[in-house]
Amino acid sequence: MCEGILVQEADLSAFRAKLGSEVEQALPDKKVIRKEDTTYRIISKSVTEYQFIVPFDLPDEERVEVGQIFSIKDHDEARGRRLTFLARVLDIQHGSNYEGNWDTTMKGTQFFDKEQIFNRVFAEPLGCVNCDGSFRRSRTIPTKFSKVSRAERSEFKFLKQVMGDIEIGYLRNGSRLVEEIPVALHSDTIDHHMGVFATTGMGKSNFMKVFAASCMRLAARGESKFGLLIVDPHGEYLKGKGSIKGLMHLKRYRDGLACYSTDQKNSKDPYVEELAISKGEVRPEDVALLYEWSPPQREALDAISRIFEAGNWLEEIQSPDGLERMMQEKFKDSTVNVLVRRIKNILEKNKYIQGRSSLANMLANLQSGKVVLVDIPRMSDRSELFLLSVISRYIMEEYKKDEREGRKNCLITIEEAQRVLGAGSNTSRFETIAREGRKFGVGLCAITQQPKLIDKQLLSQFNTLVIMGLGDRNDRIQLEESAKQDLSTLDIEIQTLEKGEAIVSTLNIPFPVPARIHRFEDYLRRLEKDDANEALISRGGFRPFLE
Amino acid sequence: MKIVHLADSHLGFSSYSRLDQHGQNRIEEMIYSGFDQAIEKIIQLRPDAVVHAGDVFHHVRPKIKPLVIFQRGLFRLAEMGIPVIIISGNHDAPKSYSITGPFRLFEGLRGVHIAQRYKYERFEVGDYNFHCIPFCLEPRDYLTEFERIERSSRDVLVMHGLVESLRSRKMRSVGEHELKDSLLKSDFDYIALGHFHGQTPICANAWYSGSVEYFNFGEAADRKGMLLVDLEKGTVESVQVRPKYMIDCPAVDCSGLSSEEISECLMELCHDYEIRDKMIRINLTNVNRAAYRSIDQGKINRLGAAALYFKIKLQFNDEAERSERPVDRHKLHEEFSNFLRGEASQKRIPKAILDEVVAYGSELMKKAVQSRNIEAFDASQ
Repeated sequence: MCEGILVQEADLSAFRAKLGSEVEQALPDKKVIRKEDTTYRIISKSVTEYQFIVPFDLPDEERVEVGQIFSIKDHDEARGRRLTFLARVLDIQHGSNYEGNWDTTMKGTQFFDKEQIFNRVFAEPLGCVNCDGSFRRSRTIPTKFSKVSRAERSEFKFLKQVMGDIEIGYLRNGSRLVEEIPVALHSDTIDHHMGVFATTGMGKSNFMKVFAASCMRLAARGESKFGLLIVDPHGEYLKGKGSIKGLMHLKRYRDGLACYSTDQKNSKDPYVEELAISKGEVRPEDVALLYEWSPPQREALDAISRIFEAGNWLEEIQSPDGLERMMQEKFKDSTVNVLVRRIKNILEKNKYIQGRSSLANMLANLQSGKVVLVDIPRMSDRSELFLLSVISRYIMEEYKKDEREGRKNCLITIEEAQRVLGAGSNTSRFETIAREGRKFGVGLCAITQQPKLIDKQLLSQFNTLVIMGLGDRNDRIQLEESAKQDLSTLDIEIQTLEKGEAIVSTLNIPFPVPARIHRFEDYLRRLEKDDANEALISRGGFRPFLE
Repeated sequence: MKIVHLADSHLGFSSYSRLDQHGQNRIEEMIYSGFDQAIEKIIQLRPDAVVHAGDVFHHVRPKIKPLVIFQRGLFRLAEMGIPVIIISGNHDAPKSYSITGPFRLFEGLRGVHIAQRYKYERFEVGDYNFHCIPFCLEPRDYLTEFERIERSSRDVLVMHGLVESLRSRKMRSVGEHELKDSLLKSDFDYIALGHFHGQTPICANAWYSGSVEYFNFGEAADRKGMLLVDLEKGTVESVQVRPKYMIDCPAVDCSGLSSEEISECLMELCHDYEIRDKMIRINLTNVNRAAYRSIDQGKINRLGAAALYFKIKLQFNDEAERSERPVDRHKLHEEFSNFLRGEASQKRIPKAILDEVVAYGSELMKKAVQSRNIEAFDASQ
């Protein structure tokens, strides 16, 4: 009996094996995707958007975040496919295999079917990397079901080749740092103007200090390609405040910094020059910035340069003879008296206007590629504009003259730039620099919280943008509409940027790069501690081949 | 308190090889006599102190005569009870710690305060502190030494070097140390500067006294002399030691002039400028070469014999317009770096080692140039 049963079972398995092969042969030639292969694979959609799904209940360290960069390995040696696509997450949505709301329908006390729900990830293609490591924009789509994985450090190596010489931070993949890939701007593109956009507290000042520190490093090593002018109305860049450090703390590269200050305390330092502007360097149009003028007063201001000598008008107009000459030109004495009174006020308030001038030194330092810091704490908004106007006019006039051999370009920083670059502002000087500066090697670095107030045409001249979180939708729209690179898809990421995080869009770097700006104090420590080449010099690590 | 500020005496300087009847260089002797006159003028002014802001001697190892002249001057001032504050300048400071400078001879003299050891020294004279920063070996040392200054309410700063803001007015000479404008603090009662030979205010409280003498024709338009400074009132008065004796005549266009006419022109100029005991340069342009050659050269020599120095600078009409060769102002290490980067761009240097070679090589070059420049100061003996 037992034997008989055994025989029957053996026959059955043979039958099953025969049946199986016949059934398999009978099935159509069709690839069946197993359940575990459905996530992290490209499932749609086009050249401009990739989609893939991920489990809906990932642990924290595996969560997908907006801004993260994923790599799509479209590799099949046999079929000659070796491309790696890179894509940045733009959005993540709950999804399911059901139409409507089936995925959240209750079944008893349970959700209906956990197996059928997932998160759908929308990603923007950045480009693709060849097998030889070169990067280009992608004009095709990855093969369907190509594997998607979080991009590894090695896959960002191509970025190192396109980065510039002014380091500002590290590459960021979502909220994770990729420390091996520094984000660095290009000195060569600086005269194309630059914009730094962020709401208060997002780290603008920190960014500027990091940027300036990198420039100081280049200048001290004789490798700088432009001079950087920073006028600091908050008095925070020079020596910092409390535990926050300033540029003076970067002792190693102090040769790359020239400081001027109106603050008695700061200017006691032998490295800080007392700021001085000579009376001859102030023009009526600078004074015009300081007050609201009635039409006759403005007319009188405009006439000054015709009536008096350029270098001496501030003195002459205050003399009885000056008043007489103005009246001879048919201006009322009351109008001229207002002018004179206001001029006296200006001279009284701005003690740095005297016989000596720091401008020639400032210019020489800029032209030799140094960072020039003008520290003007506690100065009123208008006085600051007045000073900035005098300095930038002088610089622009000097740069318009014949180029001296070895002269470096210049980048003028303007804080709260919406005041002078806004539509309808009466400070055409800065607009002129924005429009014409590049011809003469002068660029603007506009820092503002409200890009929406900046003239759209001017904004479109800015080729380097550092965006550090903008809550206002109108600000973002303004930037998206004028940026050289397409920022429209980054709307969500810009909204969700945290303090110190930035999107950097610049020429030479093929797509807007997510970055974590260095914390100045940490960067300072790093620069003071080790600089590969210089460390090599000090310990004599490199020896010429002949030795 | 009143002080006399002078600088750049350059005792021992000789030039132009004109000798007097005793075979002594006339310019050198003129400088000694000028120094004597300056001392006598100081005594007449009766200041409370004298500040010499560097370059008393022209050389680090002066001959005996300039030492004697200087010693005589010091003794005269000491006799009259006038304290003297002196700093060493780039000419008379040794460029190495191992060399003994000339000022060691005058140390310990009563009323004579000398800062000469490459470091800051403070001397209290009258109610004032004189903060002296002499010639330093490294440009950065001026800032470091300045940091050592402890301020009182009455402070005078004494330094020697070319301040940054004069950069455009004077071609920098090799190895010259630049004083940062950031050192010119407005709260010093006075800043006495030496090195620039023209009498010049730099800002309200900082002056170059200028030298008493002329050392080349580039200085012909400079104001010369000393300064009398009233530290309480904040006034600065120029004191002339002797009349102007250097004349760089404006160019005379000699187009179409014959040899007789050129000769006549020269005679007139010499007469107009009263050239006896003066240093004079006559500038003639568009001169016909043949016409000039036919002028009796002996006559020209006799014409200039009375002058302390006589030179005719000629520009002939057949000289092609000199096309100015652009001066390459790159520093050596920049040139080196640019060259290597150029080579690397053409793949003649492997990129992997480029940064290291540039960094190490540039650093070596900076050091070599600096050390060469410092040695160059001592080379003019």
